[in-house]
Amino acid sequence: MSVRGTRIPPHLQLPIAGVTPPPTEKEGQRLFPTGNFRFFRPVYRDKTPPCNNACPTGEQIQKYLDFVKHERYLDGYLTIMEDNPMPSVTGRVCYHPCETACNRAEHDEPIGIRSVERFLGDYGLNLPENPIRGTLPPLNGTTIAIVGSGPAGLACAYHLRRRGYPSVIFEALEKPGGMLRAGIPHWHLPGEILDAEIAKLLSLGGIDIRCNVRAGADISWAELRGYPAALLALGQDVGRRLPVEGAQARGVTGGLEFLREAGLGRPVQAGRQVLVIGGGNTASDTARSALRIGGGEATIVSLEAEDELLIVPEDLAQARDEGVAFMPGTSLVRVLTAGGQVTGAVLAGARLARDASGAVRPDLVPGTEREVPCDTIFIAIGQVQQLDWLPGQLADATGVITADEHGRVEGNVFVGGDVLRGPSMVVDALGDGKRAARDIDRLLTNQALAADPEPVIMPYEGLNAAYFRPAARIEAPLSPAAERRRSQHVEVTLAYSEQQAVAEADRCMSCGVCNGCDNCYVVCPDVSVLRDARQNGHYSIRTTYCKGCLVCVQECPTGCLEKVPELDFDDPAEVTRMETAFAPYDGAHAEQSAFTKRLIEETIAAYDAAHQAAVPPGSSSNGKTPPAPDDPPGVTP
Amino acid sequence: MYHELTVWSRGIIMDKEARDVSSCIAAVARAQGLYADNVSDYVDDPDRTNCLVRRYARFGDSPIVDRFVYENPHPDWVVLVEETIIKAVNFLRGTPDGSGVLVVNSARDPEYLLKFLPGPMRAKLARLVVVDAAGLAEPRGSSPWMFVRDLGELAYDRMSTEGAEERLAIGMGIAAPLIGALVAVTGELPLDAVAGQVADRAAMFRGAAGYRVIEFSPAGRTAAPAS
Repeated sequence: MSVRGTRIPPHLQLPIAGVTPPPTEKEGQRLFPTGNFRFFRPVYRDKTPPCNNACPTGEQIQKYLDFVKHERYLDGYLTIMEDNPMPSVTGRVCYHPCETACNRAEHDEPIGIRSVERFLGDYGLNLPENPIRGTLPPLNGTTIAIVGSGPAGLACAYHLRRRGYPSVIFEALEKPGGMLRAGIPHWHLPGEILDAEIAKLLSLGGIDIRCNVRAGADISWAELRGYPAALLALGQDVGRRLPVEGAQARGVTGGLEFLREAGLGRPVQAGRQVLVIGGGNTASDTARSALRIGGGEATIVSLEAEDELLIVPEDLAQARDEGVAFMPGTSLVRVLTAGGQVTGAVLAGARLARDASGAVRPDLVPGTEREVPCDTIFIAIGQVQQLDWLPGQLADATGVITADEHGRVEGNVFVGGDVLRGPSMVVDALGDGKRAARDIDRLLTNQALAADPEPVIMPYEGLNAAYFRPAARIEAPLSPAAERRRSQHVEVTLAYSEQQAVAEADRCMSCGVCNGCDNCYVVCPDVSVLRDARQNGHYSIRTTYCKGCLVCVQECPTGCLEKVPELDFDDPAEVTRMETAFAPYDGAHAEQSAFTKRLIEETIAAYDAAHQAAVPPGSSSNGKTPPAPDDPPGVTP
Repeated sequence: MYHELTVWSRGIIMDKEARDVSSCIAAVARAQGLYADNVSDYVDDPDRTNCLVRRYARFGDSPIVDRFVYENPHPDWVVLVEETIIKAVNFLRGTPDGSGVLVVNSARDPEYLLKFLPGPMRAKLARLVVVDAAGLAEPRGSSPWMFVRDLGELAYDRMSTEGAEERLAIGMGIAAPLIGALVAVTGELPLDAVAGQVADRAAMFRGAAGYRVIEFSPAGRTAAPAS
């Protein structure tokens, strides 16, 4: 019903409803304090997104995706660089545990985090100046020794440099990069990208890489111990041998050795009929490189059954597209030779079994032996390291250096990467290097080593999924299989365009972290969500007025808002004991009753004054007796 | 002998529990031959979810003359159906010093709750009684509260449940242990008579045996275990 145009006689125009400030105004919220309605308080508490938790370097993925979403690429790049010194490398080669953990997989498909990371990494490499340089502290003169210039060593040097420590890296090969160069093929990680990332690190100053220095031969354990602190990150680059008859023949080579020679740019050969023995990623990389170099056929022979292969799914699919053949559940029994040269192999059906020590042993299926012609056999069944130069108690028989839970070997010497954990991901090594730098700094500044606090990880169930419309993942484009299998130098996985990177970042659900969506601010029916800027950390709850309806908590898309029992807030100084609302008279009642009462009194007094002026005394028009002049104005409950 | 009971609760979502406590006490008193009153207070607009609401009962051995002042001016028994009310409002306004019995439905430690009471409010207390009524109540379906599993879920309640189960019985769910603790700690009304009024006798007796209390004496306060 509209009241427009309705004439209200002056004597009915009491001010209670019309004048009393509504709760949407600040004065109204002061006069009608309803904070005591609340028994749960909405609280902004950022949680750890699962991607961030799964990343061994602890990349703040949600944060940089948010920057990319808003086309703030430099901020995104600097965010990555807080944790990972080489996003152009990991953006190409990482096995992306972040994407495996991504909550979006339960919604539709995980975010293409690695491709966005690559986009940012390449953005950073193309900057005219390294933006990290201006942010670094001066060098403090305490030089740390690092053995190995692979991802663990480089990451450690970088994070030490961020803390002001110079470092010297001893590299056994003639070029730095470790497994990034000597294990990962060019078509996966182009050498020029790796060179550019390493050059970027060296441009920071204070990082000295000395190539052709092999630990044990060219620098001793005692010399390493002479440094204030050291990191052993020499990787595992010695391929395991396969003890079968004929394995000494020409044409039988380690897969790792083949990849290393190719990665260092030395002349390598692969035949036209290649068998690769092994069921992991090295076998896959070897077979795919053999296709490119030899131009013939390559077959992966694995004890693992089809569904047990340890090759990451996307690499497996790419290998199949390129024509790599698979013989799962098969073992190499012996190598056939003629004149010391491989001519074929005897294979047999087999199952993967382990002996008492846990070592893999083929469990051959009788009667399945067959001969297969081949001219090259690559062995890719695992890798170890030569550690006989270390004190005996520090290394075990599997080529691993033993360490405590902090990765500390002894004294101020740490270990990281494959030589700590066995063959593992590049990003694991990067994380080890980062932690080693942090812990070295702690030891040198007399702080205790401590484990990271247990994070609170945001599950998919904690999100308000209704806010995220289905959006298909943008798959990274690939070079055509026929084209890429012709050359070592055709990169298989290609980059997102800027538009694709922004669109993919925009799919991020920001699990558990406020991304300034303003939803709480908009949905609060009580104007109790306050903010000055639309930004994480700038929202608060007006606790004197919030009634605890929790609409904001229910409608928070990311789950960063949670409800906490009001009684958990136990600071007595914080307790504002309020009066009950809507009490128009005194007694056990509120501040607003005085305000309302005063308004009523003033209005009645004004009305009476006007009325008495207009009407002669003694002729009351409404039947009421006007108050005596000396009566105090007011209402009686 | 004369007592005034004020039960504090929250509009709509836990209104029934408060009304059960006051009406049960008044009914038992009247059955004992005492004079008794029981009033619901609508001043605080009970149609608003979560808002503070009060239920009043009073009884004594002489006629109650001030029939139209329904808001207890001097409550000496106070029940908080929901624990947060302990820091929400001055529920001891008008309580004579050293005479108040405060019963709180909470699973928390009495000492923890006590720290929310400022000195002037503590001075009015004779006893602080804490009973985990939600834990001691018989769940109906999966819940001691009316339609939901726990307080956390009750906080999201968007529907009016006012009176929805009124016809079922007086003194079920949360109300039963609250009544038991109040009657046991005050000792003014016989528990057996209360058992004749409440629907859930077992839960009432669990409340009567399962409360924790802090006694306040003029010389100071001491903590005592359940009776």
